[in-house]
Amino acid sequence: MCSIAGILFKKDKRPNLGMTTGEALTEMMDACRHRGPDSAGWAIYKQPRQGRLRLRFFVNRDGGQSEDIARIREGLAGHGAEIVEDEAVGCTYGASVKYSGDVQAFSYAMEHVGQLVSVGSSLDIIKDVGQPYGLQKLYDIGRFDGSHGIGHTRLATETGVHPETAHPFWATGFADVATVHNGQITNYWIMRRRLERRGMEFRTENDTELIAVYLAYRMSQGALLEDALRSSLDDLDGTFSYLVATENAIGYAKDKLAAKPMVKYEDDEMIAIASEEVALNRLFPGRALDTTEPAPLTCGLWLRQGTA
Amino acid sequence: MVTIDLAKMPVRKLNETLRGFGATHQNAEIINPDAKHYIGVGLISPILVKVRGSAGYYCGGLCDGPHIQVDKNVSWGVGDNLLRGSIVVGGNASAIAGVGMRGGEIVVKGNIGSRAGQVMKKGTLCCAGNANFMAGYMMYGGRVIVLGNSGERVGEDMMGGEIYVGGNVDSLGNDAMLLEPSSSDIDVVMAFLDRYDLPFHGTFKKIVCAGKTLRYGTAEPRLRKLPFYSFSSGGRQDYWNAKVQEDIRVKAHIGRYRIRGYGTSRHLPHFSDIGFKKDMSGAGEDPEVVSKVNLRTFIGENHGGRPLDLSMPVMIAPMSFGALSPQMKIALGIASRLSGISENTGEGGMLSAERAEARQMISQCLAGRLGWNVHDMKRADCVEIYISQGAKPGLGGQLMAEKLTKEIAAVRGIPEGMDLRSPSRHPDILGGDDLIMKVEEFREATGWRVPVSIKLGAGRVRDDIKIALKDGIDFMELDGMQGGTGAAGSEVAEYVGIPTIAGLQEALDGLEELGCAGRMPIVLMGGIKDGVDAAKAMALGATAAAFGSTMLIAAGCITCMQCSVGNCVIGAATQDPEHTKRFDVEKRALQIHRFLETVRWQLAAIVREHGYSDVRQLSREDLVALTPEAAALTRLPYNPSRDS
Repeated sequence: MCSIAGILFKKDKRPNLGMTTGEALTEMMDACRHRGPDSAGWAIYKQPRQGRLRLRFFVNRDGGQSEDIARIREGLAGHGAEIVEDEAVGCTYGASVKYSGDVQAFSYAMEHVGQLVSVGSSLDIIKDVGQPYGLQKLYDIGRFDGSHGIGHTRLATETGVHPETAHPFWATGFADVATVHNGQITNYWIMRRRLERRGMEFRTENDTELIAVYLAYRMSQGALLEDALRSSLDDLDGTFSYLVATENAIGYAKDKLAAKPMVKYEDDEMIAIASEEVALNRLFPGRALDTTEPAPLTCGLWLRQGTA
Repeated sequence: MVTIDLAKMPVRKLNETLRGFGATHQNAEIINPDAKHYIGVGLISPILVKVRGSAGYYCGGLCDGPHIQVDKNVSWGVGDNLLRGSIVVGGNASAIAGVGMRGGEIVVKGNIGSRAGQVMKKGTLCCAGNANFMAGYMMYGGRVIVLGNSGERVGEDMMGGEIYVGGNVDSLGNDAMLLEPSSSDIDVVMAFLDRYDLPFHGTFKKIVCAGKTLRYGTAEPRLRKLPFYSFSSGGRQDYWNAKVQEDIRVKAHIGRYRIRGYGTSRHLPHFSDIGFKKDMSGAGEDPEVVSKVNLRTFIGENHGGRPLDLSMPVMIAPMSFGALSPQMKIALGIASRLSGISENTGEGGMLSAERAEARQMISQCLAGRLGWNVHDMKRADCVEIYISQGAKPGLGGQLMAEKLTKEIAAVRGIPEGMDLRSPSRHPDILGGDDLIMKVEEFREATGWRVPVSIKLGAGRVRDDIKIALKDGIDFMELDGMQGGTGAAGSEVAEYVGIPTIAGLQEALDGLEELGCAGRMPIVLMGGIKDGVDAAKAMALGATAAAFGSTMLIAAGCITCMQCSVGNCVIGAATQDPEHTKRFDVEKRALQIHRFLETVRWQLAAIVREHGYSDVRQLSREDLVALTPEAAALTRLPYNPSRDS
């Protein structure tokens, strides 16, 4: 019950958009905010650095924030991660650390020192209760001008309105994989049990997290992201239009009922995809765009050039 | 031609401007549309509107007469419910193009999304490219032309009309069949294409309804009367009572579920299981009590519409013209006016004679969009989106062929003589995000003048009321399991749903969880039988109560539960002139009115006996639960000693 948005620049040369990647995502989300007035979130992909990991945690917004941060810092140090930079903003704490061990084990361990939002060499998930423009200002999203990212605005239906139930969702334990989703996965518990039996962990009861974990699990078993997207069309039941992002790609999948809209614009330099065309037009005001709608029961993947 | 820059003008202002242009036959060109939603919604004049770019959701929705040209694409629901006029789209159209259209012409030069022409009734929808799945889904009439490929399951569950496909028929839908088009068919189609300069050189395949599922196989036999009280008391006493026996015999004959009227006949926790803490035995001693208590209630002003103004917190529940005879509907209209409350169209369109009689009329929009049109919206005092009904949550209405007369079929815009099973799900409300789109479209069509309410059968109320609140609904009509219906599967009426008091409590809890207690007025219905029940509902947290079955009984209904058959002996739930001629409209209207005045008197007496002067002073603190079940459902203190 939401809107989704994604943008990817195919190469480093940028079209003349007149806005940063972060601003572009925010504009698209704002254009569809009527579909999701409760919360908003971005998964943005920053420049990776050798031997570094980015982590973001939720911390107590009111009292107890410094205690939360102290505990997280201690936990990071205790697991051999050296903090290079960090920041406390809104209800989150972000850190860039030197770390070279196993990411999955590290992030499962970090779950115990704080409420982990995302881990990746480039991924940074920022999400909170509120609307895109306000949150963009608070979290300085407009400064982000990287190659790609996805965003989401949410209308809560079955779970509460909290930062942790906002999208995007990180594929817990798998670096750099994030999803946003519009719809409802109806075989959630069947799929979740199946993944839990294979050692996957879940932090929420939100069906979007399931998509992220499902894709990450399939990739950890050697599947390509494209194959994982395709098998999700069979394995997931319900209505969905979702986007997945990794450190160098954005993919989508749409169920056979096509009950949740998704429109795509593509040119030589970029791809933008959103719930409604009105969002795409925010990037190109006054232009009649050649758009297409992904067909029902299809998936797709766009890689950054030179990264395949 | 006047040029309007939509980069500088909000859509709401644009539509107001276009309506003004309509009055003076002024045409308009819209620049910088940027795929914005609701462009040209609610226009009722034959003006020309050119959209220089793409339009968003519901472009040209709920219109009668305009000619709209869109240079590029349109999103969901272009030409929703179009009555007359034309819409030409230069690019692609997204899902449910021409949904529920009742006339006019829609031409899409590119491709068309899924479920094009869903529940359409008349007019022509033409796509020069390919269609996606289920074109013509549940269409009742009209014509769909696809020059390219049909997409999967074309004509799924179509009940009338015709589909022409120029390319491949990818697969046929349920109850659709291929037919050789006649030469006059082809002439008509080619003439249409010529008018829009659409070249075509192939051959057409024609798809129509196969008619295998239009009627139930075997009709239910007519049986001796088994009235409601024998249904309900018999069910508790023994296994093989008269009701159970009859049920088995009928199913052995017809081989399917049975259909009947009314709601559940089982005993369920209800307002009779809730009592007042204070002794009410002195209530009513004051003959002037009505003049000493404020009962007047305004409802629906949360988003700037003109609220309903009720002389007491009471409404008449939605009951359709179709299920009920025109005479009964008119009697309800008169009674609602005499008692200063509101009437509701229910499913299937507004009866003009009733509109004239009722001072305040709620117009209900259901999934099949039967009888739905912009003119009735504009002459309504409130527009209501029906999601479900307490007697059969999750299912659509049913109207058996016996009651689907020529007149009713004409109002609803569908073929006569079928066993009508209305769709259970709106074509364009598949979730909370779609609901807000629909609410905004209705607000645009009515110029933000009237409240938009939602009718909800009690099921997953705690979540649903939160969605309704976030989607900008003005008030909710909440219907419990005890609520009646004109026709439903017997098992569904008996067992599906949750009790009225449980539904209300869940709704209140849902609002409380959001920290929004009191922000969504609730009109409670479902087996509310008098002013005492209504007072308890209000004390528990409802803003008003609505009466349905009670109104029928006040008008003389004998509760035979055979509403679906069409032989109502009092002429209330039938379309048969032999029966309706016995229905004395004026006399029945006065009966209903007199009953409503007892409701007013009971409400006032109870309020006054509590020492209050306003009905809104009643609160939970004034109530106790008389049974453990009611205590569990409502969390009221259990105190059986107050049962008197």
